[in-house]
Amino acid sequence: MDNVALLVQIFFGAALINNFVLHYFVGICPFLGVSRRIDMAFGMGCAVTFVISIAALLSWTFTYYILRPEAPLPSWLWRLAGGDPEVQIDLSVLSYIMYIFVIASSVQFVEMYVRRFFPPLYKSFGVFLPLITTNCAILFACLEIMKHLQDPMHLWGLAEALTLAIGGGVGFTLAIVLMAGIREELELCDIPKPLQGAGITLIVAGIMAMAFMGFTGVDQGIQNFLNAMIE
Amino acid sequence: MTVFFTLTLSAVLLLLLTVAMALVLGWANQAFHVAVDPLVEAIDRVLPGANCGGCGYVGCNEYAVAVAEGKAALNLCAPGGVSCIEALAELTGQEATPALPYRAVVHCAATRDQRLPQQKPLYLGEPTCAAANLVAGFQGCTYGCLGLGDCVRACEYDAIHSIDGVAVVDYDNCIGCKACAAVCPRNIISMVPFKADRMLVVACSNPDNAAATRAVCPIGCISCSMCAKKSDLMQMENSLPIIDYNAYQDENDFALALEKCPRESLIFVGKPSPSDLEKVADEELPERVEADFQTTVDKTEWWG
Amino acid sequence: MVATSPTAFERFLNGIIPENPVYRQLLGMCPVLAVTGAMKPALTMAAATAFVLICANVLVSLIRSLLKPHLRILVFTMTIATFVTIADRFLAAYLYEMSKELGPYVPLIIANCLIISRCEICASKQSVGVALADGVGMSLGFALALASIASVREILGSGTWFGLTVLPSFWPTWGIMVLPPGAFLVLGLLLGLVEWIGHRRATST
Repeated sequence: MDNVALLVQIFFGAALINNFVLHYFVGICPFLGVSRRIDMAFGMGCAVTFVISIAALLSWTFTYYILRPEAPLPSWLWRLAGGDPEVQIDLSVLSYIMYIFVIASSVQFVEMYVRRFFPPLYKSFGVFLPLITTNCAILFACLEIMKHLQDPMHLWGLAEALTLAIGGGVGFTLAIVLMAGIREELELCDIPKPLQGAGITLIVAGIMAMAFMGFTGVDQGIQNFLNAMIE
Repeated sequence: MTVFFTLTLSAVLLLLLTVAMALVLGWANQAFHVAVDPLVEAIDRVLPGANCGGCGYVGCNEYAVAVAEGKAALNLCAPGGVSCIEALAELTGQEATPALPYRAVVHCAATRDQRLPQQKPLYLGEPTCAAANLVAGFQGCTYGCLGLGDCVRACEYDAIHSIDGVAVVDYDNCIGCKACAAVCPRNIISMVPFKADRMLVVACSNPDNAAATRAVCPIGCISCSMCAKKSDLMQMENSLPIIDYNAYQDENDFALALEKCPRESLIFVGKPSPSDLEKVADEELPERVEADFQTTVDKTEWWG
Repeated sequence: MVATSPTAFERFLNGIIPENPVYRQLLGMCPVLAVTGAMKPALTMAAATAFVLICANVLVSLIRSLLKPHLRILVFTMTIATFVTIADRFLAAYLYEMSKELGPYVPLIIANCLIISRCEICASKQSVGVALADGVGMSLGFALALASIASVREILGSGTWFGLTVLPSFWPTWGIMVLPPGAFLVLGLLLGLVEWIGHRRATST
């Protein structure tokens, strides 16, 4: 049950409290660019959530087995090569290149697959896929997962990694859809000329960020609630 | 030793990964290849690529697919014109039926002064029709053109302008893409098939009774039904005359109706007819008078 | 085409103000918002970005004849990722505290659209000299933008500049400025200010 509590905490942390866009400022480009209409914003949000989940799956696998300190594969090869078992082989220097390469290739693969077998799906959100292949939000999720795989005593499992990714994706979708709704209304407003476009969008984002600060502590509350349920 | 091992391992890993990904993606490219119909590609090249949506499909590509499958008529593309229809007919082997060019028509002709503001206009909001349409009291007529130019901004071809507070289509530039009709919050722009260079249209959208219309507009339709009685091609619907453009043959069919109309709700739009041009051919255009002095007070430009 | 491409000096000047990557092109927003709570991290970030941008520009320009159109973005990203790894390791080795403070934002330079866009627009089409000048100019413009935002946020938010107290002690510090909402608000208002000044200069001349 501890595990579930941790997952809940990670999910709400990523989706609301430390929202990827409004707290960590990652994924700002699509947040400013594709938030003119709600339907497009929602498509973008779904695409990001989808890609972020794939990226989390892949980066966790690669980091856990190959790239982290004391990872099984290099250690095994090192001993096979007759090296000193006391010495650690650390390949984490490769992580950034690996992440980028693996994510870009797999998104390309998914795009081809979806285009071939699910044409309607491709039409509605496939067009966003190439735009976000190496989007900051996706790389950020990989880096967060990597951070939690550095200390051999407290390793994240795949479940935690995926929860973080999906939470982040949901948070991004929430933020971008809310922003699109506000921007549709802004169309009817008399905005001072210099602030039109990106200026007013950033100011609105600032106010949204303030509102999202109000979620601080929600994860603790839900944890307490879960614990009370168990008892 | 450690450094050497790490370097070798990194190189081998990256190389393996590259080869693996190259194989996977290469295979995927073959296996998931989406066969694009060469006919669709050819049609796509013929279409203008403006993605205006005037044909009723999302973009030129969608229309190309529909044409290739035989689901769509060949003559839906307004920007492409006759040459496009002929090219499509050649590609698909179907009979070419040139479409009548549909052009935008604004069903209101009252200038801002004529639309009789009920009181001094108090509207200080955003100067767009979409915003002004939400509030009452912008002008007397609650059906007519707002003249704030949403259609002007929607037009990519510089074919509609707000003149004296009413939208006027420039038929030299209009290509019939429907962008203005789609954006008008009062839905007073419709598409009319131009069978001749100029067409008769009903330039009023006010369905109120005579007294109510008179109160807000000096030229609007007062639902007297006179035109419908005088012409078989017109009938009253919702207190407004509707012209049957399917049966519209010649503007002379409407001569009597036009004569009997007590208001100015029936007007011709489009290019002037040859007879009109003849009538004014002898008249000399007055020369524009240019001011021959420069004021030192301000930079106002003086036009005669 | 070659005749009309901007020269090295034009590229250099363009990057600083006329085509400023942040205020004019709205590129690289993620570090602009994230690390501008104070001057020191902002300038460290600007230096790291400058290193990556200049190196990537030069390298891409050197290999530009070998690029295949459909693979070029991947090549750009891999090049950038390599230099970012170098910058990240360097910071971790020599400026450990700063590296901690910048956290994930150094590796996130990989996803900074500024660098990819410069590789695409300039380096993959023009010679090494021009690409170098472009990289330096854009880096200066980026540093200028980061410094301006960081100045406002640090002075109003903590009453200090480069860690030195500049505001009198009776001045209440605006805590919101160093928090995430402050970043959005300051950047939005500064963008408006730059637009306004640009508009006034355009109309007055």
